[in-house]
Amino acid sequence: MARGEIVAGFLAPHPPHLVYGENPPQNAPKSQGGWEQLRWAYERARAELEAMKPDVLLVHSPHWITSVGHHFLGVRQLSGKSVDPIFPNLFRYDFSLEVDVELAEACCEEGRKAGLVTKMMRNPNFRVDYGTITTLHMIRPQWDIPVVGLSANNTPYYLNTKEGLTEMDVLGKATREAIRKTGRRAVLLASNTLSHWHFHEEPTIPEDMSKEHPQTMAGYQWDMRMIELMRKGKTREVFKLLPQFIEEAFAEVKSGAFTWMHAAMQYPEIAAELYGYGTVIGTGNAVMGWDLRKAGLSLIDEAHAQERTSLVD
Amino acid sequence: MSVVSAFLVPGSSLLKLKTEVLGWGRLAAAMQRAGRALEASQPDVVLLYSTQWFAVLDQQWLTRKRSEGIHVDENWHEFGQLPYDIHSDTELAHACVAASPRLGVHARGVNYENFPIDTGTIVACSLLGIGNAARPLVVASNNLYHDPLTTEKLGALAVACAKEQGKRIAVVGVGGLSGSMFRTEIDPRNDRLASNDDDKWNQRILQLIESGDVGQLRRSLPEFAKEARADMGFKQFYWVLGALGGRFAGARIHGYGPVYGSGAAVVEFTL
Repeated sequence: MARGEIVAGFLAPHPPHLVYGENPPQNAPKSQGGWEQLRWAYERARAELEAMKPDVLLVHSPHWITSVGHHFLGVRQLSGKSVDPIFPNLFRYDFSLEVDVELAEACCEEGRKAGLVTKMMRNPNFRVDYGTITTLHMIRPQWDIPVVGLSANNTPYYLNTKEGLTEMDVLGKATREAIRKTGRRAVLLASNTLSHWHFHEEPTIPEDMSKEHPQTMAGYQWDMRMIELMRKGKTREVFKLLPQFIEEAFAEVKSGAFTWMHAAMQYPEIAAELYGYGTVIGTGNAVMGWDLRKAGLSLIDEAHAQERTSLVD
Repeated sequence: MSVVSAFLVPGSSLLKLKTEVLGWGRLAAAMQRAGRALEASQPDVVLLYSTQWFAVLDQQWLTRKRSEGIHVDENWHEFGQLPYDIHSDTELAHACVAASPRLGVHARGVNYENFPIDTGTIVACSLLGIGNAARPLVVASNNLYHDPLTTEKLGALAVACAKEQGKRIAVVGVGGLSGSMFRTEIDPRNDRLASNDDDKWNQRILQLIESGDVGQLRRSLPEFAKEARADMGFKQFYWVLGALGGRFAGARIHGYGPVYGSGAAVVEFTL
């Protein structure tokens, strides 16, 4: 009997500025640095991931937007140049990634069985979105672990937050079941910023950190409130506040990745590790990890596979 | 010189990739008819605004001489891909960048290899037969924070810049009418408007456009945007309206119908 494992989940935001600030060889634009505290946060998360030795990274990105269903990358090798449509001056990245198609297909099938509209993306010329690529680069720049990429169905924006997040809860549970059935050791990546109020003009030198600060005091205060709850393991309270947080801080977690990840992890009441927090053009970004292995919660056995815990209501 | 033709067209890739679906094929044929009318007006440049080119910082203008590539729609990837080779009037695009601060709008040019040209721009180029060496474009992004009035002013500004360069101008707004789509797979042969109310709203707006009643349109469009979830607040219309100086005599509707539940129309304005 297959016995999968969700080793950990990371809140892993995707501002392309972090890649730009790091100056990896894959990215054409070059910088004088910048956003060090977030980049150093990712360095700590990278070290944790290295020790976890997962088979696969699953990433849910808000920048692959689909209107009919939840889509999954389904081509074994994808490569190309990803240019950020919003920040083309900062992010023009040569990527090459390997997809765990078997797991992607299992996620697609389990989602379908759970009542969601799901679809595999089989077109080899598909341009992988910059959110997926930025998160994957920042957490694992070696690109040596296969990935599963999930689209963001726009239900939370198209219908409402509650219906959208309810779908993400179902998708998370389906993802968990797919990981169990395929026996993978998986790490989940929620590619989300927290407060999302941002500047409307870019500084002349984008990496001029004298210009970087939270866009609003309210957004910053919301971020600190939510991070503190996560650090204390108060997951139930986090999800109770989530709709208000989304509304008042314009939080990007509305797009669903955070809920998907926690549903897959069964909303663990464990303290999250904060690797670091910083703003990018005013938005609030936290790199955080939930280490299920350390908490003894990583293994997915069949007896508990069908548990239907939900904190979305 | 002046504006010699103006159009509203939809930007769904389904119209290009699935022409065998009767309704979508009809809309594609309507766009091709509009393209022939545009060609007959012999513009030097086409000023195009697409609701699908999102910007959040600044107003972006395409300043790359040729944009080439293969586009795969993030929703409809299973139906194939759209190769494109788009020529731009960079002299005019740079003028638009330089002039935008007159409106209090920060602007920047976009000139990068592999820049992801949006689906709407690509579909419009392909079906209208524009964006080639003979009919180059100036493409403006849809800044999500811009209201209709700002979009209208940007349309007017682009025309003013083109006139300064002595160019004959065609104007194209790319986007949809009612925005509600079906959320589950449908048989395309059974495509229809998502609701009767959406259909009524679309037809009401199209009748007002046909009549050239700009005053009534201005009064009706905010409610249309809200009640029918118009694509991006129907800002593509304001782009055209601004380019036309806020008035037009009427319009010819080349085609109207559903695209996966949303409303789509091909409109040729009478100047």
